[in-house]
Amino acid sequence: MEKDKSFFESVLQKRVSRKGFLKLCLAGLALVPFLGYLSKQTNAATQNFNGRQKKGLKGAYDLVIAKGEDPYAMVVKAIDLMGGIEKFVKKNSIVVIKPNIGWDRVPEQAGNTNPQVVAALIDLSFKAGAKKVKVFDVTCNDARRCYANSGIERAAREKGAEVFFPDTWDVIDAHFNYDSPMEGWPVLRDAIECDTFINVPVLKHHGLTRLTLSMKNLMGICGGNRGTMHRDIGRKLVDLTDFINPDLTVIDAYRVLLRNGPTGGDLKDVELKKTLVVATDPTLADTYACSIVNVDPSSIPYISVARERKFGSIDIEGANKAYAEA
Amino acid sequence: MKRLIAIRRISQIFFLTLFIYILWSTTYPLKGLLPPGTLFKINPLIMIMTSISERVVVPGIMVSLVMLILTLIFGRFFCGWICPLGTTIDMTAAMGRKKYSEDDRVNRNVRKPKFLILIIVAIAAILGVQLAWFMDPMVIMARFVSLNLIPTVTFLINSGFMFLIKYLHLYGPVQDLYRALKPTILGINVYYFSHSGIIFLVFVFVCLLTLAKRRLWCRSLCPLGALYAVASRLAFLRRRVAECIQCGKCKSDCRMGAIKDDMSYVQGECILCMDCIYDCPGHATSFRFIPLRQSKPPMAQAKDDRSGISRREFIFLAMSSILLLGFRFKKNETKVTGNVIRPPAALREEDFLNRCIRCGNCMKVCITNGLQPVLFQTGLEGIWTPQLVPEIGYCEYQCTLCGNTCPTGAIPPLSIDKKRLVRLGLAEIDRSICIPWAEGRQCIVCQEHCPVAQKAIKLESDTTGGSNILKPYIDEDLCIGCGICQNKCPVRPVRAVRVYPRNSDRT
Repeated sequence: MEKDKSFFESVLQKRVSRKGFLKLCLAGLALVPFLGYLSKQTNAATQNFNGRQKKGLKGAYDLVIAKGEDPYAMVVKAIDLMGGIEKFVKKNSIVVIKPNIGWDRVPEQAGNTNPQVVAALIDLSFKAGAKKVKVFDVTCNDARRCYANSGIERAAREKGAEVFFPDTWDVIDAHFNYDSPMEGWPVLRDAIECDTFINVPVLKHHGLTRLTLSMKNLMGICGGNRGTMHRDIGRKLVDLTDFINPDLTVIDAYRVLLRNGPTGGDLKDVELKKTLVVATDPTLADTYACSIVNVDPSSIPYISVARERKFGSIDIEGANKAYAEA
Repeated sequence: MKRLIAIRRISQIFFLTLFIYILWSTTYPLKGLLPPGTLFKINPLIMIMTSISERVVVPGIMVSLVMLILTLIFGRFFCGWICPLGTTIDMTAAMGRKKYSEDDRVNRNVRKPKFLILIIVAIAAILGVQLAWFMDPMVIMARFVSLNLIPTVTFLINSGFMFLIKYLHLYGPVQDLYRALKPTILGINVYYFSHSGIIFLVFVFVCLLTLAKRRLWCRSLCPLGALYAVASRLAFLRRRVAECIQCGKCKSDCRMGAIKDDMSYVQGECILCMDCIYDCPGHATSFRFIPLRQSKPPMAQAKDDRSGISRREFIFLAMSSILLLGFRFKKNETKVTGNVIRPPAALREEDFLNRCIRCGNCMKVCITNGLQPVLFQTGLEGIWTPQLVPEIGYCEYQCTLCGNTCPTGAIPPLSIDKKRLVRLGLAEIDRSICIPWAEGRQCIVCQEHCPVAQKAIKLESDTTGGSNILKPYIDEDLCIGCGICQNKCPVRPVRAVRVYPRNSDRT
């Protein structure tokens, strides 16, 4: 037995004829146009609006405001008043619940959405027969720390939702029917390709936009250099909201960070408001949420742009409201 | 039946795998089976030299002394059976020539340099400079695994999945598998390390040395090997040849050149690879425990055969290593770190350079990939020490991983409460390119991300020109220099807010 013949000698040092070598080279070269074809196929741009379909779902009320001690019960009660989750989640559908998991903060610091609110929405979705519930966010701090410390990862996994770390390459470039500064912006594929999109922001202070609300929360489904979105932020967020067209907006104002947002950290800056706002119209939800912390809605860039564009309604007085106590 | 060789190979593969596993598990949330410092705590060269040069007892030194005691019993088993670099070298050697033998004179010259290196390292340590990191095999291997191997492999796997998912549209089970792998095995970030090509070249060079002479690194250069060689000279486990017929087979088998022309052997060089047992005609060779008193070698040792170095060489060495150190002492007075931001609460620069063994644990574990190897920014002696590069990754506000993985305490372990207050440097806003200051448009991404509860970046409102523009400025009392502002600043190519290592808390 020839023992000294190692792998190296038998395979790597095997002599290749000139013809064989040329063949190998040609085979390698032939792969190049094939790969080029593939990438062209996948990157082929669609010039038309490729956001989520506008379904125009309406609840029993325009606006439901729930108050109470238990965030979970508040969500159940409020959705019930809206006419039940079945209005929004169909059988065997894929539901995306987009909370704010942006920061490495615990729930008491109110930097992220209350995990109980997320848990309640997952339970309701499954009750309505959802096939899959996805929970994710493109975080600002390290994703693993945010997911873990916000409590959302555990709460959502316990309820059976799919919690994952989105890839910033798994995106679709946004296209609009109108001229938009968001044209071509990479948006997570999972956020677009779903049957129901539930936006679950937390109400908190923000240095630039004064308040972080539902439209600001949608920044968490964007890839790219997100910092540049801060230029002309009002217009960009309204366009993004139009692109995603959330079916349901649930604003968590249980614990509210009033200063030093959006990160916070000091418990002195957090106030208990024990409120929850549910609406199908994101503009209406955002406008109402301003009143919880006594901020003038017109001072919020995206609300003022939405009003100019007549995107949604800012008419709190004229809205069909319902109050729930849990 | 070469049973002992088979067992040795299994042991080598096992420890190589364990080595890679420990380094792989050196990542958030640090839930490996073994603590990340293990690899270096069992390394007597690192532990002893660091302790001597820093005049402290580095915690965990007892473990490394156990290794020395084991060597006193078994000999240099570490090199042949455990050392992951030795295993890689043996694997590389499969490409080269297998059998050849050299005479005593060559072998003696080959094994000498490692003792010189060990003495230089020891003298430097006594004079207060730690040089052990420079050629320690565990460190070279760990750096390669942490900064080259694992990032490259994860990058390739990630790209493979990305290709399958994005370009072949395999969104179903393939993506589910990928999403399951990411938080568990692959890690959610693909890591990048600047200048890691040089680390790779050093490692490849060390491995390829074996093609010139088998195990040339271990025989000739490795200071840890030298330390074990000294210790194993008294070892009880010895090679015995019952009736030697001077056939010379063992001599050409020996990868360490430990067998002399007269077929006796140099005990300090033997790594117990067991190669010599099986070719021996009549199976005359064996390894036995022989008490010291009876350990007269079968053939009398000539006086000049004792390995090691001559007196003349020793004096030359002592002088040269002292001269070598001259430049270090001169520079200590005006130690400059340049623009290098050290990890949180890193020791003062002189102590830091002595303590840091350049193992790469902190860089491997850094949750944002912000810790990067320094090249020459802090002088020659600072090579491969960690620095924070905020452009690549910032220091996560509530993360204490680097301090908890540092095997020698160059970065002290901190509690989260303490870590939040540690200043790494100070941020500065370059008003000539900052969007609100220079262009009068809204931005303040830096203020948004600032993790300090009271915000170390404050805003001043400017209403000139009709619209209200918020302009950021730094509160120097609150800024901890974590670098998240620089990391997230949207201005390119140079960031408008940058962190400089002024004001840093170093102990």
